[in-house]
Amino acid sequence: MRQGVIEESAGGMWLWLLQRVTAVVLILGLGVHIVVTHVLNLGELSYENVAGRLAMPFFVVVDFALLGAGIFHALNGLRMVLLDYGFSGRSKTMLSWGLFAFGVAAFGYGTWALWPWLTA
Amino acid sequence: MSQKHRETANVGAGLWKGAGMWAWLFHRVSGVALALYLFAHIWVISRGAATGAEGFNTMFETLESPLFIVLDLFLLAAVVYHALNGIRVLLFDLGVAIRRQKTLFWAVIAASVVIMAVFAYISLSFIASHGA
Repeated sequence: MRQGVIEESAGGMWLWLLQRVTAVVLILGLGVHIVVTHVLNLGELSYENVAGRLAMPFFVVVDFALLGAGIFHALNGLRMVLLDYGFSGRSKTMLSWGLFAFGVAAFGYGTWALWPWLTA
Repeated sequence: MSQKHRETANVGAGLWKGAGMWAWLFHRVSGVALALYLFAHIWVISRGAATGAEGFNTMFETLESPLFIVLDLFLLAAVVYHALNGIRVLLFDLGVAIRRQKTLFWAVIAASVVIMAVFAYISLSFIASHGA
């Protein structure tokens, strides 16, 4: 790993690394999601169709991996974009915590959205 | 910027020129679009919990209409480009193929076009067989 890239990242080393880790999770998870949900089940999408998939632990793991990695990658990505437009010091801290709170809330909401299928 | 720094700089970011710039700009625009889509997607899926099976299925009849399938193709194009260029960026971070970044950009574009052609065929066949 080239040290310079990590040290020069405005977003911080660990967030930089986590952005790469979630990228790999998303590439693999979205590959499964798109092919299984939108090609193999083309025209079959329904509440019952989703229930059938989420009865399998594999798809529960894939969906929660996509939910968590997706929310992190999206919000950290938006943060990196916004940091190019003049956030620093206090405004940078507030932006980071605001996005973090939004991410936690979105993960909670996403879990609630999946709950009826998980408990069926 | 010295020649040495230019060769090892985070390709695309700040180099406002050529293929690297377009790769970076497309990545950023598709990234923002996908971030916004993600939260719309979570809301759509939450209609199952909010309105139950019947409301969810009614909504999906609309989402499987030709208009939304075509919109899905634009969404997929953003996903495919962002994923493939993301792999290109990951390679650079590992120190691989930085000097061949332009070639890799065109490889990303070519692979995106091929993948999208396959999905366009699948989607348009579906629309045709279900009577638009």
